[in-house]
Amino acid sequence: MDTLLSAEERDFAQQMRQFYRTEIPEELRFKVATGQELTKDDMVTSQQILNKHGYAVPNWPVEWGGQDWTPVQRHIWLEEMQLACVPQPLPFNVSMVGPVIATFGSQELKERFLPATANIDIWWSQGFSEPNAGSDLASLKTSAVRDGDKYIVNGQKTWTTLGQYGDWMFNLVRTDPNVKKQAGISFLLIDMKSPGVTVRPIQLIDGGHEVNEVFFDNVEVPVENLVGEENKGWTYAKFLLGNERTGIARIGGSKVNLARAKAYAAVTKTANGTLLNDPLFSARLTKIEAELTALEMTQLRILSTQAAGSDKPDPRSSVLKLKGSQLQEDISELLVDVLGPQGLDFVSDRVQGQGLSDLPHGAVDALPAYFNTRKVTIYGGSSEVQRGIISKALLGL
Amino acid sequence: MDLELNDIQQELASTLNKYLRSEYDAAKREEILRSDEGISREKWQEFAEMGLLGLAIPESYGGADMTFNEVAVVAEAFGRSLVLEPFLATAVLGTNAVLLAGSEEQKQAILPGVAEGQTFLALAAFEPGQRYEVTTPATQATAGADGAFTLTGEKTNVLGGDVADHFIVTASQNGELGLYLVAADAEGLTRVAQRQADGLGSANLKLDNVAAQRLDAADAHSVLSEVIDLGNAAIMAEAVGVAEASLTMTAEYLKTREQFGAPIGANQALQHRAADLYAELEYARSMALYSRLAVTSEVAGAEKDRHRDVIAAKIVLDRAARNISQESIQMHGGIGMTMEYPIGHYAKRLTVMTRTFDDADSLTAELAALGGLIEPQAADLS
Ligand SMILES: Cc1cc2nc3c(=O)[nH]c(=O)nc-3n(C[C@H](O)[C@H](O)[C@H](O)COP(=O)(O)OP(=O)(O)OC[C@H]3O[C@@H](n4cnc5c(N)ncnc54)[C@H](O)[C@@H]3O)c2cc1C
Repeated sequence: MDTLLSAEERDFAQQMRQFYRTEIPEELRFKVATGQELTKDDMVTSQQILNKHGYAVPNWPVEWGGQDWTPVQRHIWLEEMQLACVPQPLPFNVSMVGPVIATFGSQELKERFLPATANIDIWWSQGFSEPNAGSDLASLKTSAVRDGDKYIVNGQKTWTTLGQYGDWMFNLVRTDPNVKKQAGISFLLIDMKSPGVTVRPIQLIDGGHEVNEVFFDNVEVPVENLVGEENKGWTYAKFLLGNERTGIARIGGSKVNLARAKAYAAVTKTANGTLLNDPLFSARLTKIEAELTALEMTQLRILSTQAAGSDKPDPRSSVLKLKGSQLQEDISELLVDVLGPQGLDFVSDRVQGQGLSDLPHGAVDALPAYFNTRKVTIYGGSSEVQRGIISKALLGL
Repeated sequence: MDLELNDIQQELASTLNKYLRSEYDAAKREEILRSDEGISREKWQEFAEMGLLGLAIPESYGGADMTFNEVAVVAEAFGRSLVLEPFLATAVLGTNAVLLAGSEEQKQAILPGVAEGQTFLALAAFEPGQRYEVTTPATQATAGADGAFTLTGEKTNVLGGDVADHFIVTASQNGELGLYLVAADAEGLTRVAQRQADGLGSANLKLDNVAAQRLDAADAHSVLSEVIDLGNAAIMAEAVGVAEASLTMTAEYLKTREQFGAPIGANQALQHRAADLYAELEYARSMALYSRLAVTSEVAGAEKDRHRDVIAAKIVLDRAARNISQESIQMHGGIGMTMEYPIGHYAKRLTVMTRTFDDADSLTAELAALGGLIEPQAADLS
C-alpha cells in the first residue's frame, strides 16, 4: 500500500505504526494477534490509551475529541491499528452512538455523554434488532409511550453484543404505531440499570457468550434521553449504519489472519515438505491474497473519491462489506484446515500437560473463530441485504 | 442394477427413524450433550437391544451377520438425529479393525461385548503434528519374550477415545506398521478426554511402555486402509442424514420466517440457493451410495478400486457438506448461530465429520496422484 500514499501519508502511517507498537501494551496486542478473547478490562485499557492521545474517536467533530483528518488518514489510522493487533475502540461508542449524539443530540446530551463515551467510562450497547425485526429493522415493535416527562418502554431487543458489560443502551423504539413504519421510530438512550431491564445471555455455537437478549418491562426513561426529534429515529439510524462504511471490510485484520495461516502452514510438515508448499493449500492461500489486494484497492478508490469532496454514504461500500466479509470467512476456514484433525476439539489451552505434547499453534481459537465468523455475513446488513443495495442503488434494477 | 434399499433395510431405517424422532429429539440430545460423559449409556444399551451394534459382526461373535449396507442405514439415521454416542468409533472403526486383523481368540474376546453394548472401542491412529498421515507412526512397538508387546508414543484425536474400553493403536516395530490392541486400564496409559466442536467425545493418549497385543491376522497397511475406507463410507452415510435434516429445516425456516411482510423464502435469491443445496444433497446421496457399493462389492478385484472410489465420493460429499452447513446458518440469520436452535449443531457436525480422516484438499491431491477416474485419451492424439 505504501507506494500509493503521498509522502505525508507515509509519514502519518509511520507515526501511527510507531504509536501503536510503543503505547499499547504488548500483552494486549499478543492476545489479539493469537485470537484470544479480550476481557472488558483489556478493551477499556486500550481505548483509554488511544483516547488519551486523541486516537479513540478521530471520526468525531474536533470539539468533541475528533481529528481533522482526510478519509485516507482515517483509513491509515484503522488499517495500522489492525495490523498492529490493537484492541479496537468499542464500535458502539465510537462509530455508532457517538456520531449520532454529536450530530443530532442537544448540547446537554453532548456534554453529558460524549466525553464519557470517548473514554469508555460508559459502555454502550446497541439495541436495534428484535426477534422479528432483523433485516427488516423498521418493523421493530419495542414501544415507548410518553407519560409526562418520561417514556414508558416495553418490549424486547436481541443479539445485543456484549450487553453483559453495558452501562447504557441506544435503542430504536416505536413512538408512533399509526404511521408508516419508518416514520414512527425514535432514538432513545436507556440506562441499563433502570428497573425493568433484564439482560439474558445467548450462547453461540462457538461456545462463547457474546450476545444477549434484553427485555424492557415498563422501564421509565426521562424524555431528555431522546436524541434529536421524536419519530426521526430512522433518519439517525440510517446515518449511523452509513457511518460503519469505513473499516467494515476489515482488511488489516484479514491480512493479519492470512499471515498467521501462512506462518502456521510453513511449520506444518507434510509428506513432501510443508503445508505452505502444498499445491492445493497454497493455491487457496494465494488466491485469497490476490483478492485481498483487490479489496484494498477498491477501498482506496472509494476513499480517494471521498477525499475529493463527496461526503455522502457511498453505496459502493456495500461491495466492501459483501466481499470483505466473505474473505474473512474464507480465511477463518484456512486457519482450521491448517490444523488437520488437531483443530477439531474445543480446548481452552494449547498446553495439555500430563506428558502430552502441546497442541499446534492456532488449535485453541481456529474452529471457534470459524463458527463465530459466520456472523460477519449476517450482521451489519447481511450479504443478501448488500446485494439488494448493489442491485438497486448501483445497477438500477 | 438395484440401487434401492432392500425390504429389510427399509424396515430398519423406518423403525430406527421413528425411534429416534421420539427418543432422541433435540431436547433429549441437549440433555445428553450437557451431561458429564456427553453420551447416554442407557441409549447405547437400547441400541444394543435393537441389534444395531453388532450388525456387521458374524453370528459366531454375537452379531447379526449382516453387512456394511445395514451399518450405513443406521449411520444415516443417526446423522439425522445427531446421535452423540460413539457408533462410528465402536461399530465401524474398532469392530472392523478387530474383524479384519484380529485372531480368533481376540475376536472372541472383544466382539461379543461390542454387540451387547458392553464394550466401547476406538481407533488411535493420528499423532501430534502429523495431520492426516497415519501409515508411519512414531509410536514404537517393542516385542517382549512371550509374544506380548509394549507401546510407547503419543496419539491424538482418538474418536470415542474418551469412553473406550479398548484401543486399536497403530505403531511401528522396526519401521513396520502394525495394529495393536490396548486395554484402557493398562498401566502406563494416560488418557486426556476431549470434546470435539460437534459435541462428540475424543481423547489424546500418552503411552509409556503400555502392554499390548498385536492384531496380525492380516497386513496392517491393507487393514488400516480398509478400516478408514469403511469409516469414510459410514461418515458419508451419516453426513447424508445430517445434510438432509439441515436442508429440510432450512427450507421450513424459509417458509415460516417473515421479514418485510413476507416469508424470506419468497425471495428468489434464497430460493435459487436452496435449490442449489438440494442439488448438492442429491450428489451427496449418490456418492454416499457409490462409496457404500465400493466397500461392499464382492466383484473379483474390486478392492483395487475401493479406495479410489471412496475418496472420489468424499471429494464431492465434502463440498456438499460445506455448502449446506455454511448456507443453512446464513439463511437462518442470527438464530442459526445459537446453541438454543438446532441448525448450528448440524453445521458443526458436518464441519467436523468431513475433516475426521482427511479433508477436501488431501483427497483431491490423492485422487489426482492415483490418476483420477478417467483414462487420458483423445481421438486426435495417437
Ligand atoms: C453475532 C451477532 C451479533 C449481533 N450484534 C447486534 C447488536 O449488538 N445489536 C443489534 O441491534 N443487532 C445485532 N445483531 C443482529 C443483526 O443485525 C441481525 O442478525 C441481522 O440484521 C439479520 O437479522 P436476522 O438475524 O433476524 O435474520 P433475518 O432478517 O431473519 O434473515 C434471515 C436470512 O434471510 C435473508 N433475507 C432477509 N430478507 C431478505 C431479502 N429481502 N432478500 C434476500 N434475503 C433476505 C437474510 O440475509 C438472512 O440470510 C447481531 C447479530 C449477530 C449474528
